[in-house]
Amino acid sequence: MSPMFDRPRPDSLADLLERVLDKGVVLAGDIRVNLLDIELLTIKIRLLLVSVDKAAEMGIDWWRRDPMLSSEAADNQQALQQENAELRARLDALESSGNSQQVIEPADDQQDDQQDSEAAESKARQR
Amino acid sequence: MTEAASYVYLAARELSDDAVTGVTGLSDRPLRLVRNAGLTAVVSTVDLEEFGEDALRRNLEDLGWLEGVVRTHDEVVNRIGRLTAVAPWRLATIMNDDDRVAKLLDTWRVELTESLERVEGCSEWSVKMYADLSERPAAGSGATEHETGTAYLQRRRTETARHADAAQSATVAADQIHLTLSQLTAASRRLPPQDRRLTGHTGEMVLNGAYLVADAESQQFTSLVEELGGDLSDARLDLNGPWPPYSFATLESGGGG
Repeated sequence: MSPMFDRPRPDSLADLLERVLDKGVVLAGDIRVNLLDIELLTIKIRLLLVSVDKAAEMGIDWWRRDPMLSSEAADNQQALQQENAELRARLDALESSGNSQQVIEPADDQQDDQQDSEAAESKARQR
Repeated sequence: MTEAASYVYLAARELSDDAVTGVTGLSDRPLRLVRNAGLTAVVSTVDLEEFGEDALRRNLEDLGWLEGVVRTHDEVVNRIGRLTAVAPWRLATIMNDDDRVAKLLDTWRVELTESLERVEGCSEWSVKMYADLSERPAAGSGATEHETGTAYLQRRRTETARHADAAQSATVAADQIHLTLSQLTAASRRLPPQDRRLTGHTGEMVLNGAYLVADAESQQFTSLVEELGGDLSDARLDLNGPWPPYSFATLESGGGG
């Protein structure tokens, strides 16, 4: 028997949660309950704040806007980035074609549709 | 009558019944073994009233409840980890019954076996580096009573530059330490820095590294970390472990990176 896991001091909660919530084997299959990533995110956020009630009291909701922590914010950011890219492409095209009146069509309608449905899906998952 | 389910803590290869005799897990229920395909899962019964999907979603937001469950989960993994190589499962993997657990072991036999081989005889260690990036004005450059606007701006500019330099050199030092430790360990992972609000740490966590170290080499590893920590100025290393290989017994990537 190895004494390797005998520990003189209790682990910090942060370390413990990092390991047990974030790491470890996750299998797909006929599983009744599993911690889904999306749920994990909301849990982690709450943990970060230690006391949810206190956080709410203080009006802390920065995570909702953080794309790393909120899929909604991530979707929004993706949409923004795409819009930016499209605008930049149109600007480039306009500049390179001189002052012609040519109007470049938006990149692809299909992509917009896809994004909308993704956003809707993510909202549904959050419920 | 409340519905029951099987909560899975970990997978190992062979495990004797003695390993769990008289040991309780969550809700103080006895641990038991489920064997199949040359693998053994350690499970215990939980009530779906507490661990069902809806209940879990609610309970996971209760930090007190969560801490209790996380600690129990980890204690079970640690206990078995002292006996043999273990692949710890993530918190709250719950199956309808032991038959399903057995089926899952069979389905994932190859991956689980590989993962157990990878962590055999090894433990996980954590090395964190905290850098002190607080602004300290150099001697004689502090604010004076009759400082002019230009002097003030000049001083602020110098301080800001110094702060940026300190952050930059802390990052470089952290990269170097991670590289050094990675080269001497079986596998390594760099995890995101932890949140200060949860840890209460001071300084900036510039490294949160997980290292898979052969138990036979743990002495060397800890000495090395001590040595590296001793060489640092304005920063310190924090060594924790050994732990069961949570970050390395994963199935997807082989734990490298």
